[in-house]
Amino acid sequence: MQSWRRKSLWLALLASWLLVLLGLFPLLRLAVPTSPRAGAPQGWPRWLDAELLQSFAKPGELLEDGPRPPQALRGGSCNWGACFDTSKCRGGGLKVFVYPAAGPVSETRRKILASVEGSRYHTLSAAEACLLLLLSPDTSTGECDPVPPQWDGGRNHLVLSLHPAPCPRTFQLGQAMVAEASPTVDTFRPGFDVALPLLPEAHPLRGGVPGQLRQHSPRPGVALLALAEDGGRWHVAGTDFSACPWDGRCEQDRGPKQTHPGATLPNATFCLIPGRGPDVLHFLQALQAGCIPVLLSPRWELPFSEVIDWTKAAIVADERLPLQVLTALQEMPLTRVLALRQQTQFLWDAYFSSVEKVIHTTLEIIQDRIFGPSAHPSLLWNSPPGAILALPTFSPSPSDFPFYHLQQGSRPLGRFSALIWAGALGQPPLKLIQAVAGSEHCAQILVLWSSEKPPPTGWPKTAVPLTVIDGHRKVSDRFFPYSAISTDAILSLDAHSSLSTSEVDFAFVVWQSFPERMVGFLTWSHFWDEARGGWGYTAKRTNEFSMVLTSAAFYHRYYHTLFTHALPKALRTLADEAPTCVDVLMNFLVASVTKLPPIKVPYGMWHQEARPPPLEPGGPGLRQEPQPAAQNCINQMAAGFGHMPLVSSRLRLDPVLFKDPVSVLRKKYRSLEKP
Amino acid sequence: MCASVKYNIRGPALIPRMKTKHRIYYITLFSIVLLGLIATGMFQFWPHSIESSSDWSVQKRSIRDVPVVRLPADSPVPERGDLSCRMHTCFDVYRCGFNPKNKIKVYIYSLKKYVDDAGVPVSSTISQEYNELLTAVADSDYYTEDIARACLFIPSIDLLNQNALRVKETAQALAQLSRWDRGTNHLLFNMLPGGPPDYNTALDVPRDRALLAGGGFSTWTYRQGYDVSIPVYSPLSAEVDLPEKGPGPRRYFLLSSQMALHPEYREELAALQARHGEAVLVLDKCTNLSEGIPAARKRCHKHQVFDYPQVLQEATFCVVLRGARLGQAVLSDVLRAGCIPVIIADSYILPFSEVLDWKRASVAVPEEKMSDVHGILQSIPQRQIEEMQRQARWFWEAYFQSIKAIALATLQIINDRIYPYAAISYEDWNDPPSVKWGSVSNPLFLPLIPPQSQGFTAIVLTYDRVESLFRVITEVSKVPSLSKLLVVWNNQNKNPPEDSLWPKIRVPLKVVRTAENKLSNRFFPYDEIETEAVLAIDDDIIMLTSDELQFGYEVWREFPDRLVGYPGRLHLWDHEMSKWKYESEWTNEVSMVLTGAAFYHKYFNYLYTYKMPGDIKNWVDAHMNCEDIAMNFLVANVTGKAVIKVTPRKKFKCPECTAIDGLSLDQTHMVERSECINKFASVFGTMPLKVVEHRADPVLYKDDFPEKLKSFPNIGSL
Repeated sequence: MQSWRRKSLWLALLASWLLVLLGLFPLLRLAVPTSPRAGAPQGWPRWLDAELLQSFAKPGELLEDGPRPPQALRGGSCNWGACFDTSKCRGGGLKVFVYPAAGPVSETRRKILASVEGSRYHTLSAAEACLLLLLSPDTSTGECDPVPPQWDGGRNHLVLSLHPAPCPRTFQLGQAMVAEASPTVDTFRPGFDVALPLLPEAHPLRGGVPGQLRQHSPRPGVALLALAEDGGRWHVAGTDFSACPWDGRCEQDRGPKQTHPGATLPNATFCLIPGRGPDVLHFLQALQAGCIPVLLSPRWELPFSEVIDWTKAAIVADERLPLQVLTALQEMPLTRVLALRQQTQFLWDAYFSSVEKVIHTTLEIIQDRIFGPSAHPSLLWNSPPGAILALPTFSPSPSDFPFYHLQQGSRPLGRFSALIWAGALGQPPLKLIQAVAGSEHCAQILVLWSSEKPPPTGWPKTAVPLTVIDGHRKVSDRFFPYSAISTDAILSLDAHSSLSTSEVDFAFVVWQSFPERMVGFLTWSHFWDEARGGWGYTAKRTNEFSMVLTSAAFYHRYYHTLFTHALPKALRTLADEAPTCVDVLMNFLVASVTKLPPIKVPYGMWHQEARPPPLEPGGPGLRQEPQPAAQNCINQMAAGFGHMPLVSSRLRLDPVLFKDPVSVLRKKYRSLEKP
Repeated sequence: MCASVKYNIRGPALIPRMKTKHRIYYITLFSIVLLGLIATGMFQFWPHSIESSSDWSVQKRSIRDVPVVRLPADSPVPERGDLSCRMHTCFDVYRCGFNPKNKIKVYIYSLKKYVDDAGVPVSSTISQEYNELLTAVADSDYYTEDIARACLFIPSIDLLNQNALRVKETAQALAQLSRWDRGTNHLLFNMLPGGPPDYNTALDVPRDRALLAGGGFSTWTYRQGYDVSIPVYSPLSAEVDLPEKGPGPRRYFLLSSQMALHPEYREELAALQARHGEAVLVLDKCTNLSEGIPAARKRCHKHQVFDYPQVLQEATFCVVLRGARLGQAVLSDVLRAGCIPVIIADSYILPFSEVLDWKRASVAVPEEKMSDVHGILQSIPQRQIEEMQRQARWFWEAYFQSIKAIALATLQIINDRIYPYAAISYEDWNDPPSVKWGSVSNPLFLPLIPPQSQGFTAIVLTYDRVESLFRVITEVSKVPSLSKLLVVWNNQNKNPPEDSLWPKIRVPLKVVRTAENKLSNRFFPYDEIETEAVLAIDDDIIMLTSDELQFGYEVWREFPDRLVGYPGRLHLWDHEMSKWKYESEWTNEVSMVLTGAAFYHKYFNYLYTYKMPGDIKNWVDAHMNCEDIAMNFLVANVTGKAVIKVTPRKKFKCPECTAIDGLSLDQTHMVERSECINKFASVFGTMPLKVVEHRADPVLYKDDFPEKLKSFPNIGSL
């Protein structure tokens, strides 16, 4: 009995044991990680007969691709190749004609007309033009324009409207291109239409308000987010936020102090802009404020998207993923935030801050399409100073410009050309030529003979080639892009200038570090004259300066091209009439491109004493106080540019051991230290 | 485990009480239990590996064995496809969700063979290229096996060539996929769309909302920002071994190598050849080839026979004309040969045009302007031609050369749309590696002069020289633009002096105590730094005047992206030893400034702390030296610009201004500094330091001018 009980006890024990084991082992199996299998054939299998698989196209099928007649044009769907006749632009490139307005001209329209007329592409003859610009009627004129006379089915026409047209067009667009503000993605034809920004009514014609960014990195403690609200306002969401800015879900707990009434610019790192609706005005505000636009699924085409790489300045995010977007913004690396912020400012200043810039950018895009292979490369559009100021006709290679050496990993050429402007002069400037030719960096000397008298024959023998060019006797000729100039650097000189070889050498070495700036010896500074209510400038020695005189200055030869081909003709005429103005104009030009001051290098005082008395007003009379007429010139220039581009500097670049208490023998530029 | 322990504890307690005759019985029982245990173990463990090995063998199976799916004739057909689809309307982004790596997850449906009611196959099961494509996707980081976690689905139904499939039935096959849902988040690959006679420019298979990666889109069928335009793969890419030929002048100026061209185009080409003679070569199919020579590899002009694609390397420009389809495989061959494609196909959406800048590698000529093509090309300067040749070759290498390259570029484009804040930049897509290496993108590129009102934060690194520290604080506090003073107390063994002992100054003074005595503490991006400008100054630099410091700040404002410092140093190449050498003598050049007294942008603190390459940071902390050289390297490398040394040379009390405990300027010190330069140059892989011959002085420095009218009179006086 006992044994039977014991037996049954043991049997029960055994059975429970087996159960436990059976139950336990699957768990153990789970605990043991599955070892990685050899070859890891997870996912797509490696077929045994993969070698035997046929190609997707039969051999020859790719090459044969049966012929088909060229496609006929489909109505309504135009592209550049099919609907624009470039043969008309063959001769002189882009020539733009604007249809004159019938009836009263609105303010916006006046600005557009002024911008087009100020453009280097403008022509007054419709027959000569290869692009005919038709301005859409805007809000103030009630009537809609009839079909223009040279319409021709819209061929080579650009229908431009800065604001949505108030009345429907009375004619078919045909083959015309459309440039309108914030077009919807569905109707926009990429590569054919042009997307414009939606400008506020009061947008300035020229110059415009500079970007609001005063420093590179965001201030500590600045709000992370600002949210666009109706009526051009911004709601600053602060640094701690939830998804509530979306959908107005937290409308009730929005404090009054967070909302900034009026069109104040947002003060935040990122600006959230809803993608639907006419809210696109916010976009430009954010750009101007240096607040990185975060566009939530925009239904409209970004302005100038054909050429501007918006990924460098804005973030296009999906509105359906608020938390994901917010997390991504919070965690964005500092380096990228910095880059995006700076790019918003560059784009604002280069293409959007005035009506003129918007119109010129539009024409530049059309011009690029006509140019085809010799259009602006993307780099020129998307890095300072921007495509309007970087003329692709200058060179196809970005490394020939002074602006892109860093990105290209290149350096300016190691020589310079001296360009001596000789006005009313009897004798060749022997001493100057000897001093300049003595520089090891000098490649050639060009004398621009701009006098009535024929040039003398007795030019000195120099180690470098000397060429005499016959100038056209206009002051602005000295900044003509002569094909004889073979180097990147130009040393611009007057026949009366006085320089030593050491000074030339040192200034050139400095210029190589700053190829986009002007490096000069003698300086002027500008100031705001309260008494006269205008700008003035002085040649007096002060603690700062903003201009260097072109009678002795190094600069990049690209500025000759820019001076001659990009400046409005009116400004150049002004410079011809008042010759001191030419220095001001050149300094304005370079400063508006670089947004930086020129550079001053040391200049021996002994030159001053040795100088002959000035012969011409403005020319060599460097230390003279500018005449009242010249004072007026700076104001006319400022009006022409739309703003004051000059920037002041308080420093001078000297040789490292300049006037240091060490043996003169140690110093490379010892002759600079003559008293 | 627990149970067996129990048994072992109880077992021995019972056994002694048992009778011996039972012992055998118990042993038998025990062995039965043991056997049972082993058997269970075998049973539990083996099936698993049997399963997996059978799995494995299933993976290594034949295409012929894939399961067959019969499609009823009345099974649903997807809608034709919505031309207005955009990512935010037709794409279900919720499936992608948040992802720390910002990578989409892609699922591939398993391969099936589809047949119709009559048992006739719908298409060939899979082509070699599509198999390659799916393999590439499955091997990439995008792939997931978990259909529930996937954000993008790729059907294994091969749609590469529309001619090889039955349109309606294929659509039915798509519609019955398990997650089809109107095609949402499905990606279809097609290279040869359309069929005779109309040759649509997009796949004719109805696909509803599915994304299409298609070769040969036109502006009318391409949904910008939704579809992806891909190249037509050229099988010659893998078949032919074509050594790279560098850019430069070539024998023919313009070449046409396509065989089946429309007679109208051929006439135009013939006219071009007639006008320009030798420079233009128009090739056609060979008519009298002997047997066995593949026609695809030969081209003829009259009786001359040329090898294809080798002949492409003889031409500068190669015509890529539209055929029946817009996308032509010849584009791939042309790019590979470094020949610049001349695209004559109006409305053609070039491959990957969403991200690739085709202007850099090709010339587009409107079909109407075909007769002018020579003139248009002639106007391109030689330098630009060589640049375009290089670019063309790079495009082929990066995005055309294999099915894998095409597949991964397509997924990358979609990935960039979904995670735009982590997207790859224009430069990453377009710049060839040689350009990427040489170029510098300055993080502070915007030309602007920060306002003076912002001021600067002075950071004094100190250990225990309190007296000298207090003098420095007093001196620095006299500088008008100082806005805050931060003392980094690097001594863990000693407390900083009590608050009452510190000099009273007009700006806030903060003391930061560090956890470890490390030199990097000087460059930490402390939250207390509120200004952009930072003045790093040692606790023994008492010789700089207020004018000098204020002027230094003014100079920094004009060069906010540079190191602006007082004592300058130089690196030199030692020809004898073939390595870099540190130089602190009176030289005419500078390439570094000591950070014992230097202004710089606070962003560089962030870079130094978080982005310093290699082990430089640890090396500096271990050696207690060269943190300033490391900073000079870092800034020069990232901005590509030289330092600015300000004001004349002064006799500094501590000549090297680096050592906290006053290391003297001895030979070993100099040797160590030289070693630093060599070490850093090898870590950076280059010598980023730039040598200049200038320094910055006030405009009127040492000019013959009344001292009291100068802004910064007190400069350079010893």
